[in-house]
Amino acid sequence: MAGVWVLAENHRQTLELLNIGRVLASKLGTRLAAFLLHDREMAQEYIEYGADDILLLPSLPEDQSLDAYIPVIAEEAQKQEPDIFLVAATLRGKEIAARIASRLNTGLCSECISLTLDESGKNLEMERLMFGGAAAQKVTCRTRPQMATVPPRTFEPAVKQSGREGQIKELPVPPASALRVLEKKARAHEASDIREARVVVCAGRGIEKQEDMALVRELAEAVGGEIACTRPISEELHWLPENLCIGLSGINVKPDLYIGVGVSGQIQHVTGIRDAKVICAINNDENAPIFEAADYGIVGDLYEVVPKLIKELKGEK
Amino acid sequence: MPRIVVCFKWVIDEAYIRTGASQELDLENVDYKLSDYDRNAIEEAVRLKEEYGGSLVGITVGVPEATKGIKDALSRGPEKAYFINDASFDNLEPSQTATILADVVSSQIEYDLIICGEGSSDLYAQQVGPRLAEKLGIPCISYVQKLGIENGEIIAERKMEEGVEVVAAPMPALVTVVPDINSPRVPGLKDTLMASKKPVISITKDQLSQTYEPCLQTAGILAASMERNCVKFGGELEGIAGFVESLLKEGVIS
Ligand SMILES: Cc1cc2nc3c(=O)[nH]c(=O)nc-3n(C[C@H](O)[C@H](O)[C@H](O)COP(=O)(O)OP(=O)(O)OC[C@H]3O[C@@H](n4cnc5c(N)ncnc54)[C@H](O)[C@@H]3O)c2cc1C
Repeated sequence: MAGVWVLAENHRQTLELLNIGRVLASKLGTRLAAFLLHDREMAQEYIEYGADDILLLPSLPEDQSLDAYIPVIAEEAQKQEPDIFLVAATLRGKEIAARIASRLNTGLCSECISLTLDESGKNLEMERLMFGGAAAQKVTCRTRPQMATVPPRTFEPAVKQSGREGQIKELPVPPASALRVLEKKARAHEASDIREARVVVCAGRGIEKQEDMALVRELAEAVGGEIACTRPISEELHWLPENLCIGLSGINVKPDLYIGVGVSGQIQHVTGIRDAKVICAINNDENAPIFEAADYGIVGDLYEVVPKLIKELKGEK
Repeated sequence: MPRIVVCFKWVIDEAYIRTGASQELDLENVDYKLSDYDRNAIEEAVRLKEEYGGSLVGITVGVPEATKGIKDALSRGPEKAYFINDASFDNLEPSQTATILADVVSSQIEYDLIICGEGSSDLYAQQVGPRLAEKLGIPCISYVQKLGIENGEIIAERKMEEGVEVVAAPMPALVTVVPDINSPRVPGLKDTLMASKKPVISITKDQLSQTYEPCLQTAGILAASMERNCVKFGGELEGIAGFVESLLKEGVIS
């Protein structure tokens, strides 16, 4: 038995997984199957994006969540015995991947950032971060399927090839999950996507009051950048939405310029700015770890430094 | 009244990790800590017990030397701890940790609610909670930012990408919590003294119903390198001018 399977709860990530899935399936000389959540119309499209088989999951009653599919997906996996099973690392995706792996008694590489076949061409070598991003761990999976969750944007979306053919298989309606969704509240304000921003100014816990965020915003304007934050600012203080939190449990950015204001530079945060071209920091503690991760730093009180810096940048001396 | 079990892990404090020669990790002088988000898990368990009554026990899997972690966890509120330990339990992968926990929980502990942190500070694989729920055959609610019990059911707010999802599940259930669910109290001297008097039930490998082999194998660990200029300026006007000058030279501002 063989096959490469991909599962993502949204369109873009399905395409990203189809891309790497196609590469692996071709090397292994096997079929690529993609799960599709109830939207039958998309089946032909996913086939053109590289899938050989579509595993169509029926729609769920409104009070059911993605987890309801777990028994159906696990059962199908037991029947078909795929060799590789990739799941997009959304929050729900990470949970259901772990639970499916548990049912299948197999290993799962969480937040896998690199996937290659070893010399034998049979086993995946997978890489992930550990210790908050201080180290990269390479793992292999002794059991089958070899499972991994893959963060968004790890791979480019697949490219469409019209005329491809494939098969659609409808999976059975799952029994109702004991978990019931009572309510869904959309995020109040959708923050802009800063993953492609050219300049990012990041607010850290060194900012004392919410009003003072205005200072960070002003600096962002002066350098033509977007505003972002560390986890305490979004999670504990809720001064900015979570999709502006940079780091291990947030987003990765790759700007030309990153400026951290009152950011200590713990590894879980620094991991998210590794690909920045130039890293700058303003911190009053000269031993703050951020200075070891920065190209240019200013040691000083942000409340004195930032206003002066804004003036300097604007050429008002 | 809920019988609550909270899972915790004693981990290497990543702040002490240094990079040795040729990108090896230098774990020579590391210290250990209670995994960050397990503190939120314990705090939430304590809070629920204060609100709804019931009982609270802690459970961990680790090496016999992890006793300091047991004491740390107990000082935060649980009445007793289950300590599944063996010298070989130092680098367990998530499938092993979860199955070992499931082995002991299902055979020795009566429970209504299990609380885990969303992920551990060292591996952050975010698997143990969901895997454990699956092995026990109970509902799993992950990434919870608000937790309560109503009419014998768990009511939880999950934090998802697109917003908040409010869900209900019958007990027994397992919940994993995100750090903004609470601010963990810092244990005082009295709590620490009391912790040493609380019972610790030690469970050894031969008391488990079977052995658990790893599914994942670590082929190597390398320090992530970060080479930067590390130039520091002062906060006075000349320093700031020098800083701006550097950014202009880099061509990242104009
Ligand atoms: C599993 C896990 C995942 C995590 N994921 C993330 C993540 O994705 N993103 C993230 O950001 N964090 C994450 N964290 C948290 C991370 O470890 C740090 O706690 C966090 O990044 C610290 O944020 P901070 O720098 O804003 O705050 P602090 O560490 O409190 O630093 C504040 C800094 O401001 C400086 N300061 C104070 N006052 C002034 C002043 N007046 N002028 C100048 N400087 C001043 C201080 O010297 C200090 O260095 C994670 C942690 C764990 C355990």
